[in-house]
Amino acid sequence: MPFEELNHTADYLYRCSGSTIEELFTSAAMAMFSLMFDERDKGPVKIDIELESEDFETLLYDLLSELIFISEVERVVFSGIKIIIENHSLRAVATGERFSMDKHGGGTEIKGISRYGMDIEQKDGKYQVDVIFDV
Amino acid sequence: MFGELKKISEVEWEVQRGYVEDMAVPGRIFLSEHLGENLELGAVKQLANVATLPGIVSYSLGMPDIHWGYGFPIGGVGAFDIENGIISPGGVGFDINCGVRLISTPLKRDDFSAIKRLINTLFATVPTGVGNVAPKKFTDNELEDIMNEGASWAVKEGYGIPDDVHSCEENGMMKDADTAFVSTKARQRGRPQCGTLGSGNHFLEIQYAAEIMDEEAAKKFGIEKDQICFMIHCGSRGLGHQVCTDHIKDIENATKKYGIKIPDRQLACAPVKSPEGEAYFGAMAASANYAWANRQMITHMVREIFERDFGVDYNEMKLIYDVTHNVAKFETHEVDGRKMDLCVHRKGATRAFGPGSPEIPHNLTDVGQPVIIPGSMGTSSYLLKGTQTAMEKTFGSTCHGAGRIASRSSAKKSHSGADIRQDLLNKGIYVRATSNKVIAEEAPDVYKPSSEVVDIVHLAGLSMKVARLEPLGVIKG
Repeated sequence: MPFEELNHTADYLYRCSGSTIEELFTSAAMAMFSLMFDERDKGPVKIDIELESEDFETLLYDLLSELIFISEVERVVFSGIKIIIENHSLRAVATGERFSMDKHGGGTEIKGISRYGMDIEQKDGKYQVDVIFDV
Repeated sequence: MFGELKKISEVEWEVQRGYVEDMAVPGRIFLSEHLGENLELGAVKQLANVATLPGIVSYSLGMPDIHWGYGFPIGGVGAFDIENGIISPGGVGFDINCGVRLISTPLKRDDFSAIKRLINTLFATVPTGVGNVAPKKFTDNELEDIMNEGASWAVKEGYGIPDDVHSCEENGMMKDADTAFVSTKARQRGRPQCGTLGSGNHFLEIQYAAEIMDEEAAKKFGIEKDQICFMIHCGSRGLGHQVCTDHIKDIENATKKYGIKIPDRQLACAPVKSPEGEAYFGAMAASANYAWANRQMITHMVREIFERDFGVDYNEMKLIYDVTHNVAKFETHEVDGRKMDLCVHRKGATRAFGPGSPEIPHNLTDVGQPVIIPGSMGTSSYLLKGTQTAMEKTFGSTCHGAGRIASRSSAKKSHSGADIRQDLLNKGIYVRATSNKVIAEEAPDVYKPSSEVVDIVHLAGLSMKVARLEPLGVIKG
């Protein structure tokens, strides 16, 4: 998976990459899903998301914040996501299973997505971004 | 690690203007040489960055538990002139009114041996961890009242005793709450969670008073040696997280709109007296009230268990005090001999108002307010009293806890949750958590020792030790 965890004292920091902007966003979402729950099986839940923001950084912040919100209120454990981005508009289908206290009870609660250092960079034809999850 | 910092005293260091560009005032950090070995340069830079924000007065302040945070350092205090200063969500954090309360029971350590049974009952009763919901999902109207009335709503509904309200900072209710600025999303998250502990470093702990350092103050606060107490550490849950998430974007736009120059995107801010600043403050205050109601609901659950299982009278379990350590508030302080109305941000810092402050309970006016400093899992917590020195040096503020020194991921790699649980059990501390992972992440040695942090605020005179509390059992999310 094109993301790796880096050291951060108080929170969780992930370096995410992708050869396209969609892949980059997918990496960041998958990094977050892996942080939230250890056990995440494929399931029947499909959630459509549509977002529009003024720049890619804000779009990524909005997507991750929206996934935290949906996971909590719809009680979903996400395991996958398909993303299409045109200009600064995003359409995504996030998939996963229903939350169960027995299976997912030890998960990590993410309070929010940090705006610090979240700059999308292009290097050697690859996109890269560091995301700090406030826990 | 002090590098370019100027030593003012054994426990006070100055970050001089020029450390970063455009600092309007210097910074001050309260720290010993020993704890300074773990001082992160990133945290000092954050403290210096805060000093560049419009309207800051006196100093950008760092408490001894300072570490790298979101925008402001954790353990940071910044006070801004209400007339020409700013308010920033980065000075409060995602968990609005994360805080701590301490409740005494009439039980003594010698006649209490059922810690395992109690912890197991608490773990089964108090909703803990991700995805857990409160016994009752509140209606939209009830949530509206919770956000407006805070702890007093809970007491009015039968989840407490009238004295509880007077033993909370702000009487458990910020009057300036404006629920119009709390989004539908935040409300959706808030309705099922009022009365839940959450996860991470939040906890419910059974403790006993192991040492009394100030007999007179202890007597006034209502605590004596060997007394069994419980401590609750949690905040405004998903509602507060969503309010922060929502408003950060509006405040970022406001920062551009008002042409405010900021050195870090996370220090996005708006003038206190601007529509955007007022909207954030109103929503933040509503979230703070929700957090007070949340801690009150949990208090009620614990009191009911003590009453049912240990025959303790509900009314005999007194709330000693409830403090918030993530908040922005309007307060009047004396600056250079003149009274100023300020917007004081405390981010991982605790109010520590001294004797005579009109904001503290009347019966404690000659002592100072109670200050509660939780330890990390398995370590000492402290009850202190606020001081005049804090009023003069830190806008009446002190530290908030132990302060993390190692990352959660490294803690998970180097510690086994099961081993830590056994080690603590060998010391007579019984831990229940939703996973061993959270126990490993919160291992005692990934934090600065709470005793050292408290020693510094005591030496600096920012708050004085009254009692040391030791854990007997803890539940964690």
